[in-house]
Amino acid sequence: MSGPSNEQIIEELGLRRERRWSLYDQPNLIRAASLLIFLTLWEFYGRRTDPILFTYPTAVAQAFWSLLWSGELIRQMGVSLSALAAGFGASLVLGVVIGLVMGRSRLAEAILEPHINALYAIPQVALTPLLMMWLGLGFGVKVGVVFLFAFFPILINTASGAKNVSASMVEVARAYLAPPGQILFKIICPAALPFIMAGVRIAIGRALVGMIVAELFTAITGLGAMLSLYGNIFETAKMFVVIIVLGLLGIGLIRGTQWLERRLAQWKETERALG
Amino acid sequence: MALNITEQQALAELRLDQTRPFRLTDHLGAVRAASVIAAVILWEIFGRQVNPLFLSYPSAIARAFFQLLAAGELQRQALGSLQVFAVGLGAALILGIALGLLMGRYRLAEYALDSYVYAFDATPRVALIPVMLLWFGLGTSSKIAVVFISGLFLVLMNTFSGVRTVSAQLVEIGRAYGASERTLFGKIILPAALPFIMAGVRLAVGRALIGIITAEMFTAVTGMGALLIRYSSALATDKFFVPVIFLSLLGVALSAAVEKLQKRLAPWKETERAL
Repeated sequence: MSGPSNEQIIEELGLRRERRWSLYDQPNLIRAASLLIFLTLWEFYGRRTDPILFTYPTAVAQAFWSLLWSGELIRQMGVSLSALAAGFGASLVLGVVIGLVMGRSRLAEAILEPHINALYAIPQVALTPLLMMWLGLGFGVKVGVVFLFAFFPILINTASGAKNVSASMVEVARAYLAPPGQILFKIICPAALPFIMAGVRIAIGRALVGMIVAELFTAITGLGAMLSLYGNIFETAKMFVVIIVLGLLGIGLIRGTQWLERRLAQWKETERALG
Repeated sequence: MALNITEQQALAELRLDQTRPFRLTDHLGAVRAASVIAAVILWEIFGRQVNPLFLSYPSAIARAFFQLLAAGELQRQALGSLQVFAVGLGAALILGIALGLLMGRYRLAEYALDSYVYAFDATPRVALIPVMLLWFGLGTSSKIAVVFISGLFLVLMNTFSGVRTVSAQLVEIGRAYGASERTLFGKIILPAALPFIMAGVRLAVGRALIGIITAEMFTAVTGMGALLIRYSSALATDKFFVPVIFLSLLGVALSAAVEKLQKRLAPWKETERAL
C-alpha cells in the first residue's frame, strides 16, 4: 500500500509544531511564586504589627531553632507522641477485637450496638472534663482522651467489615471443616482489613486532635501545653512553631497510614469509610 | 388433593409442624431493649454508691435536666452557642464554596492556593484555637472564627473535587451553545457539584460543632462548652451530663437535618463521595 505514511501526514498537518510555552504547564512554578509572595507579604506586614499579636516567618524560624537547640521541642514531642501511641494502640486493639465480635455475632451486636451508637453520638470533646475528673492531669488522661477519640471509627469500621465478609467464602471454609480460628484469621480478618485500615486512617487524625485537646486543657506537658503556655505569655512566634510542628505531624501520620493501607490491604481498592 | 398414607407418614417424620426451639437470635429487638434497660439500671445502682463528685446516675441527671430547663439556663446558653454556630458556619459555606469553585474551574487559582489548603487541612484545627483567642479575644468573634476555620476546609475541598468531576462534555456543549461563564457556573457546574458540596457541608456541621464546644470550653465564659467546664469544675456531675446529652442530641438532629436537605437539594445524584 503506497501513499503518505503516518509520519508524513503528521508533518503535513503541522502537528509537530512546538507547543507554545504556557504558564499552566508549570504548576510548581505557580506554587513557588505564590509561596514566595505569601512569605514576603507576611514578613513585611508581620514586622510592622505588634509582636504580641502577630509574628513573621524569620522570627518563627528563629524560635524554631532555639526550641530545637534547647531540646524542649524534642522532649515535649516525645511526651505527646508516647501518649498518642499508648492511646491509639489501646483503641486499635480493643476496637478491632470488639468490632470483630460485633460483626460476627448478631447477639453481641444487639447487646452492644445501642450503647456504641449513643456514645458515638456524644461529641467526644465534651467528655474531656469528665475524664480529667476521673484520671487527673497526668499521662493517664491524655491516653484516655486519645483512646476516646480514636476508638469509635476503628470499632465501627471493623464491625461493618466483618459483617460484609462474603458468606459463601465462610460457608466453603466450613464445608471443608476449617476450625473457627482458621476461619477468623484466614478469611474474616483479611476480608475486613481494608475496612479496618479505612477506620485507622480516620482514627489517626482524630487521635491527634484528642491529644492536643487533652494537653491544651491539662496544660502541663506536651505540644498542646506548649501551645497554651506560649499563648498565655504572648510568645506568638513559638506558638507558630508548635502549630507548624503539629501540622507536619498530621501530614506525616496521614501519609504513613495511607502507605500502610496500600501495602497491607492492596487486594481491595474500593474500601468504604464509615463514620 | 389429599395425601396418601405414606406421604402423610413422611410429612409427620419431618415434623414440620413442630415449633422452633427458643433462640435468643430470633428476638434481637428484645435483646436490644433488655441491654439498654440493664445498663440504665446498673448505672443507677452503681452510680448511687459511688461518690457523687465523680459519677452521677440517671435519675439525678433527669432531675438536673428539668432544673436547668426551668431556670432557663440551658436555653439561654444553647441559643448563644447556636447563633455563633450559624454565623461561623454560614461564612465558612460562602467562602468555602466560592474558593472551591474558583480552584476547581481555574488552574491558576488551583496552583496558587492548593499548597495552603492542603497544609491547613492537615493541621489539626484545635491547635489554632489558642491563636484565635489571642487575635479575637474571649468574646463572640473568636468563637465565630473557630467555627469558621473548623468548617471552611471541608466545604472547600469537597466543592473543589466536585467541580473537578463535572463532566467536560457538559461544559463543552454549554460553551458550544454560547453560554456565558456565569451561565456555565449557575446552570452546569454548580448543580453538578452540589452533591459533593452537600457531603462537605454534612461533615463541616459535625466538625464545627466540635470546634465551638472546644472554643467555649477553652474560654469558659458563655455557651454550652462553658457550662461543661463550670459544672465539672464545681464537681456537679449530674448537671455536667445535661449539656453532654443536649449536645449529642443537637449533633444527631443537625446531621439528620443536613441529610434531609441534601436529599431535597441534590436528589439527582445518589452516590456522592465524601473526602
